[in-house]
Amino acid sequence: MTTGLLAYLLIPLFTAVLIPFAARTRHRLAGVLANVTLLAGLINVSLTLFNPANLASAFSGLAENGFALLMIFVIYLVALCVTFFSSYFIGNDSTVNRVPYYSLILTSVSAMCGIVTTGDFFTLYIFVEVLAVTSFALITSDDGAKGLEGAIKYFLLTFPASLFIIFGIAFLMLTAGTFSFESLKVIIASGLPVGGVVFAVSLILLGFLIKSGVVPFHTWTPDAYEGAYAPVSAYLAGIVTKVSGVYAVIRISMILRLFEIKAYHTAEVLMFLGMLSIVVGALAALRQNEFKRMLAFSSISQVGYIILAAGMGTPLALLGAVFHLVNHATFKTVLFLNSASLEKSAGTSDMNKLGGMEHSMPWTSWTSIVALLSTAGVPPLSGFWSKLIIIIALWDGGAKIYAVTALLFSVVTLAYFMVMQRKVFFGKPTEASRNAREVRPAMLVPVVGMCLLIAALGAFFPYIYAYLVEAIAARTIL
Amino acid sequence: MTNSFALDWYFITLIFTAGLYCMLVSRNLLRQLIGLEIMSKSALLGVISAGALTGNLALAQALIITMIVIEVVIVAAGLSLLVKNYRLTNSIDIWSLDKLRG
Amino acid sequence: MTYHTLLFILTAAAAVAAVMMKDLLMSALMLALVSVGASLILFDFQAPWAAVFELSVCAGLITVLFVSAVSLIRREENKLEDNRMRFYAMPLVMGLAAIAAWFYAVPFFESLENWARFGGRVNSLGAVLWDIRRFDLLGQISILAAGVFVINSIFPRRKKQK
Repeated sequence: MTTGLLAYLLIPLFTAVLIPFAARTRHRLAGVLANVTLLAGLINVSLTLFNPANLASAFSGLAENGFALLMIFVIYLVALCVTFFSSYFIGNDSTVNRVPYYSLILTSVSAMCGIVTTGDFFTLYIFVEVLAVTSFALITSDDGAKGLEGAIKYFLLTFPASLFIIFGIAFLMLTAGTFSFESLKVIIASGLPVGGVVFAVSLILLGFLIKSGVVPFHTWTPDAYEGAYAPVSAYLAGIVTKVSGVYAVIRISMILRLFEIKAYHTAEVLMFLGMLSIVVGALAALRQNEFKRMLAFSSISQVGYIILAAGMGTPLALLGAVFHLVNHATFKTVLFLNSASLEKSAGTSDMNKLGGMEHSMPWTSWTSIVALLSTAGVPPLSGFWSKLIIIIALWDGGAKIYAVTALLFSVVTLAYFMVMQRKVFFGKPTEASRNAREVRPAMLVPVVGMCLLIAALGAFFPYIYAYLVEAIAARTIL
Repeated sequence: MTNSFALDWYFITLIFTAGLYCMLVSRNLLRQLIGLEIMSKSALLGVISAGALTGNLALAQALIITMIVIEVVIVAAGLSLLVKNYRLTNSIDIWSLDKLRG
Repeated sequence: MTYHTLLFILTAAAAVAAVMMKDLLMSALMLALVSVGASLILFDFQAPWAAVFELSVCAGLITVLFVSAVSLIRREENKLEDNRMRFYAMPLVMGLAAIAAWFYAVPFFESLENWARFGGRVNSLGAVLWDIRRFDLLGQISILAAGVFVINSIFPRRKKQK
């Protein structure tokens, strides 16, 4: 646990408790309070991250845990985009109840900060459960039958996965007597036999793989994303499932690589599952008709890249995984928020019923193009760099078949996004899209801001790379 | 002392199997929740058994108290999802959840 | 020793009964019996705090929640014909599982026991909770807050509608 970062966890929780009292009569106040809290947190974390002194010294003098700080930045950014977007998205006639909605978002932000700041498996487990519990309620926040269905499917898969984590923790207590990452490192360094510890950590890893929705366990992901209330699906896909599953997988693989040859089989399985997710996700995304469902399968495919790199386990691959996690949060938030805008103004997100939206919604169309080019890894956008790092790391690590397949499937990514762009934004206007209007400017602010960030992350890549090497690789990975 | 630890875990495996079987065969959402509860009981017994063997009993108790608090919130969330689904669709059949396909 | 094993047998039998009962209310009560069994096992392990928690919260509160949910959906329960054959087949499946576990799981756990690393530095629960696991208390607070918001979100108090 890092006490210096505790404020990022406590303040959202405090505001979440405050909202039901402060906004009892004036429900709009809930959104304002949530936005202000998240904005303050974002400014604070940006000041620490982009401090001129830090930039000048290439982040070597950063006092805090660099990985946690970067993740907190992403969490606050995505959460702020979603709350700002939804404060305009929720209309007056909506069935969404504002007060619990914003309280839940702030509680989940607090839980996510807990996940990224902790250095202990059991605390990680507690905050993952908090996050899961808040996600169900967020998915069903528009009272629709689809959302309820997605939530129940999520429920029935995620809690059996938690049991694997608990059994892993029990075995960890048996074989190591401790749960903290640091003392595990000490035990590994002591040179005693660690076969039992590898077994326990692998069991925990299995639980987190189910929670992150890699391919054999992916069935809940598209349902939950499609059924969820529109801004919530951006929140889920952008950050919630990534922190609750994928972050933990990266964190565990940082420990796994210290076992070296003893955790060989676990790493092999991890890489295989990552590859399988890339392939199945991309191929399934090609034949979807529903916009959000296609984005969900694309999300599975991108998670595959992260898992593949985490399984590779070299420092460069882990850096690629971390950077791709950050990039995935930015571009997937843009795409899902755009799907929410489409749903609001055209009334549907079925790709066969849409067409020619670039005339009526030019901003939405262009931000989608930026985000999808970044997803597909087109230079000089940010997604290109992270995929490049991952593929180079795979090639260097000797996994040449995996490297070539990963490269090929980033072309497939481009293909399915081009199909989507042609169906939805280009071509002849259809019945639904003729009446559509561009959403109000305030709702475009989050997506345009995110697109600028995508471009900036690509353009200032040397700085980002310095940050990754100095603040994450040198301290957390070792 | 005979091998108490292995025997404990033998029964823990059996309780876990019972819960898993319940979740696999039943279509009733409430029964799925009961199966989940039985499985988490077995996980709880696993934690205390591992703690007792290694002399970490106080640590194991601390974990179990936290786990119980989490369990209550999860059950409450699951039951409220179930009741809301029942009000909306008049059904607790898991097979009626088939609107999302693709 | 035998008392210990008997408690485990009781808990396992209650778990099987909870799955097999046709009536949902009886299933919920059997689940409470599983909790009571688990609580007695905790007492037997010299873990009184956890046992009291288990007895009051799991056997008490969760049973109340389950029973009230069952009574809310009472009408539906009879219409849904679960395939009862599968439940009647359960003793057979459990018997097979018990035999298989005896031959595969027991040696596995015996080998796992050799990995055990003995700890036992701190022996008071309060010291552990406060000194080592202080962050967990924060986690407990946030999950309770989350629970309240979830219930509030799923069952809002509507004044205008209906």
